[in-house]
Amino acid sequence: MALRIPIAISKGIIRFLTKHPRQVIYVLIGVTVIASYMVNISLSFEPSPLAQKVYDKVDSLKPGDHVLLSFDYDPSSEAELQPMALAMLRHCFKKGVIPVVMTHWISGLDLHKMACQEAAADANSHYNKKIVSGRDYVFLGNRPGWQQLILQMNENIRAAFDKDFFDQPTEGMKALEGVTSLKDFELIVNLAAGATVEMWIAYGSDKVDVPFAAGTTAVSAPDLYPWIQSRQLIGFLGGLRGAADYEVMLKYPGRGIRGMPAQSATHVLIVLLILGANVHMFAGRFFGKKKE
Amino acid sequence: MPDDLQLQPRRKGQAIEMGVLALLIVVFLAVSMVFQKPFSQHSFGDTMKAVGTIMAAGITLIMYSFLYRDNPLFKIAENLYVGIALGYSTIFAWRQALKPEVYQPIFAAPTSDALLTALMHRTVPILLGLMLVMRLSRKHGWLSRYAYAVIIGWGAGIAIPLITHSYILKQLHAAVAPLQAAPGPQAAGAEVLSQAWLLHVAAPIFGAAVLVLGTVAVLFYFFFSVEHKGVGGAVSKVGIWFLMVSFGASFGYTVMGRLSLLIGRVQFLLDEWLKIPSQ
Repeated sequence: MALRIPIAISKGIIRFLTKHPRQVIYVLIGVTVIASYMVNISLSFEPSPLAQKVYDKVDSLKPGDHVLLSFDYDPSSEAELQPMALAMLRHCFKKGVIPVVMTHWISGLDLHKMACQEAAADANSHYNKKIVSGRDYVFLGNRPGWQQLILQMNENIRAAFDKDFFDQPTEGMKALEGVTSLKDFELIVNLAAGATVEMWIAYGSDKVDVPFAAGTTAVSAPDLYPWIQSRQLIGFLGGLRGAADYEVMLKYPGRGIRGMPAQSATHVLIVLLILGANVHMFAGRFFGKKKE
Repeated sequence: MPDDLQLQPRRKGQAIEMGVLALLIVVFLAVSMVFQKPFSQHSFGDTMKAVGTIMAAGITLIMYSFLYRDNPLFKIAENLYVGIALGYSTIFAWRQALKPEVYQPIFAAPTSDALLTALMHRTVPILLGLMLVMRLSRKHGWLSRYAYAVIIGWGAGIAIPLITHSYILKQLHAAVAPLQAAPGPQAAGAEVLSQAWLLHVAAPIFGAAVLVLGTVAVLFYFFFSVEHKGVGGAVSKVGIWFLMVSFGASFGYTVMGRLSLLIGRVQFLLDEWLKIPSQ
């Protein structure tokens, strides 16, 4: 008798869930993300070994060394890749390494310019630097050509980019002193929302034998493991977690770390939903058979 | 008459939905006015920034309204996105490619020598580009084939050696090399079954063996010239297992990626639109 009311309530919940499962899942995930973003949950996590390798490589560079950063993404992947770009740029500025930034994705140009300017401003305030475009970093912008552009950069970077994004001639630019082609970079990094990592490996890093690292959206991350095993990639950052890993190592919290509680909470929710759905399915089968 | 009776509840439902939608729009505008204060900013730039944030928040919420169901506002936002993306890319294509590579060297050449050099270097590529555009014409569409022939011929000539080297030979080497690798310095002289031996000799060899087995089994699964029966069938099944593990990892990462996008939008809505400081 006492169990009647709870049983009726659970039956009602199950009926509602089975009638509108999609909408219920969306609402639950939305509420979980908002709640975990607003509530103070401190999560401690160890950076992945692959992210550690990328960080260690940048950290081992000397002031004045050059890193080529190819930001091949646009606003649709901003949530995952912009925090990575910011973290890597801040690291370069902190170390005095000169980032040379370019993109194959014309639709992301403003986003990449904003990343450079925001990271420079952060470095000025946080590390007491005076970062200046053309001296401490270059934003080359975009040129058409994709593979052809990389091949041209293998020969002469100034022929590929005669001016930077702000229309400053690259000839005689202080930030590019000592750089003629891709061979002169200590590291090439590709932050990619598409298939440019493979393109950079085949046409760029493999050809000139320069260490290569990548950062990708979580969707593309599993495709990168074969390149790690063949040592064509020294390491990579995968999705928002990759950005958070880098921020943890840099000790500069950004959007990556702030997104981790929400991501962890939604993962727990998804696991619970999978378990609940399986229990419901097997219970349905069991009780269905009993009735028969 | 019966048709009218059936239509009545539907019309009623639509009217309710429209009412709810209008209410939501009013609430959204009211909240935006309270948190963004677009009309009490100090400069025109700040006002435009506030208006931009309100528009971005509104379009974000309209996009998520698709989770309830398809609706006219979603269609407007969808078309707006495509239009803006195209317009934006066109402007940058002109600024970053056509202007510096075509217009300035030819139509704004500083000297006659510079014009001659530009014509020598750029006439053929420009012609090939124009031939590609001919694809839009039924009558002259055949001209585009010459441009495609150059692209494919060039692509094959450049790509085949590089792709073979990077995608096939290096990957093959990586798959087989660990099997013949000598034990590392940490394992040199280590006793069999000791921790160092397990970690630096047994584990890499086991990993490499699994990798070779997986590669062969998956390749065999896609090899249809032999019927998958007996030993072949067993190998093929092992291939399916490896594929399933791979798809599972990809699906897990995909879910993680989609959630990251949602988190990104929530961060924007809370931080920039509602200006709620995160903990």
